[in-house]
Amino acid sequence: MSAALPIPVIQFLQVATVAVAAPGVSGVIARVEARMQGRRGPRLLQPYYDLAKLLRKEALAPEGASWVFLVAPLAAAACYLTVPLLIPVLTSYGLPLGYMGDILGGGFILALASFLVAVAALDTGSPYAQMGASRAKTFGAITEPVVLFVVFTVALVTGTDLPYALAATVRSSASQIVRPAHLLAAAALFMVILYETGRIPVETHTGTNEFGMIEEARPFEHSGPYFALLKWGSAMKQLILYTILLNVFVAPWGLAASTQAGAVVLAIVALLAKAAALGVVVAVIDNSFAKLRLFKITEFAAGAFLLAVLGVFTLYLGGG
Amino acid sequence: MSAVAAPSVYAGGASVIAVGVLLAEFGMFRQALLRDQVRLYAAQSALISVLAVLVAAARHLPELYVLGALSAGLKVVIVPVVLRRLLRGIGRDGADPDAGPGWTEIAGSGSLSLASTVLLAIAVAAFGFFAVGAMGIHSPVLPPIALSISVSVALVAFVLMIMRRDVASQAIGFLAMENGISLTALVVAAGMPLILEVAFLFDLLVAVVVFELLIRVHHGRADSLSTADLTRLRG
Repeated sequence: MSAALPIPVIQFLQVATVAVAAPGVSGVIARVEARMQGRRGPRLLQPYYDLAKLLRKEALAPEGASWVFLVAPLAAAACYLTVPLLIPVLTSYGLPLGYMGDILGGGFILALASFLVAVAALDTGSPYAQMGASRAKTFGAITEPVVLFVVFTVALVTGTDLPYALAATVRSSASQIVRPAHLLAAAALFMVILYETGRIPVETHTGTNEFGMIEEARPFEHSGPYFALLKWGSAMKQLILYTILLNVFVAPWGLAASTQAGAVVLAIVALLAKAAALGVVVAVIDNSFAKLRLFKITEFAAGAFLLAVLGVFTLYLGGG
Repeated sequence: MSAVAAPSVYAGGASVIAVGVLLAEFGMFRQALLRDQVRLYAAQSALISVLAVLVAAARHLPELYVLGALSAGLKVVIVPVVLRRLLRGIGRDGADPDAGPGWTEIAGSGSLSLASTVLLAIAVAAFGFFAVGAMGIHSPVLPPIALSISVSVALVAFVLMIMRRDVASQAIGFLAMENGISLTALVVAAGMPLILEVAFLFDLLVAVVVFELLIRVHHGRADSLSTADLTRLRG
């Protein structure tokens, strides 16, 4: 019925879907969160209007900031646009560029983006931006082991560390879903995602409470198009992480199994619906927990680490 | 590297429940209120009862239904109710007078920070996991992982009793250790005579009464639930 799409087009659509839909997911979360608090909340498209406004504005750099300050937002956005090539965004079969890197490769590119933003924040000399960068790197160091153990779990379950392989394994039978290692790794990854996207209980996503800020404080000194790129980048990172959780671990259904245009369009719709549903879950968590004190975040990370380590243990004993 | 084969749905589900028991045990490190600690213990016991019923249904062992019902009745309902009844009024002296009996604070009684305690407990649990895994004991009714987890539950309960310096957590740690041992019994001796299991359950009730007595005596003397005051009794 529908025409087959050339592979490069699908590959491009993976990136385009993430880039275009990412601010919308943030909009959905903000809206749902506001509704649950009895407010009307911003328009669903508000993040797009924000980006459009920022892109039209003048860009200013602090005195003494070097070229790093201006290059970092562009390079970070480039990193975020690379990762969707590596993970199953729309298709259940690996696209040609999907084998450029495994889960660790995608993780490295995300880490590189975060490093670049942190360096740019340090370059400004502004205390708040530096504080955010320093905190992000400190807590990043303790959530990194969790990610590694999640990857180990995937490697033990599938024998590879390609995200496509795990998604296929999860789809293959119900016994792959109820195994404790899978559930533990998915839960640990979800906790890391809450940290990485700056959600409660780690960080308040909105407002101007500088003392509790981690990720949000880093772009304080950027303005205009550069600030827009950083905001867009963090929205893309959020959707990328949601996609990894959904399409690899929790719900790898609805992906296109062929190159038919209809299947691919259906996959886009399915991904957006799943991301919005996950966004609602995140909004519920945002509204039902208090923000942890800064030095309690280690406890949150310890909890995630516990889940990931138990996942590997159960696998090593052959029962998981 | 080859993939680790998936367990059957039954084995996977049973392992998930067993892991839930272990996670509840870890949760006891961070509970801040006496009431929540008791509730978590009840939840942990409920998981074990569910596991007993699951084994009974899947492996056709009808006496396990009785055991599941008995342990649910005793450990999910009676023990928590008795604990909370008996501890009513404890710890209210220094606390907010309007607060109910369940609001007794036991927060901050750990002798290490929570994250360090969890890391320590992970190490202890790992020892339990691999030590038992190396024994290669195979159970006819449950996956071998459940045995490893049950030993880890008992060991982590030890860590809980050592690291938390309030008598309430120590009592709950003891009861939770009993939960670990019930899990072990379920794995290695699912066909154990019912009368023995029931005898163990009633032992538990005696332990609860003894602990309640000890907690009351300690609270009467030291006016707190913390065991830190006992240090000065050293000769």
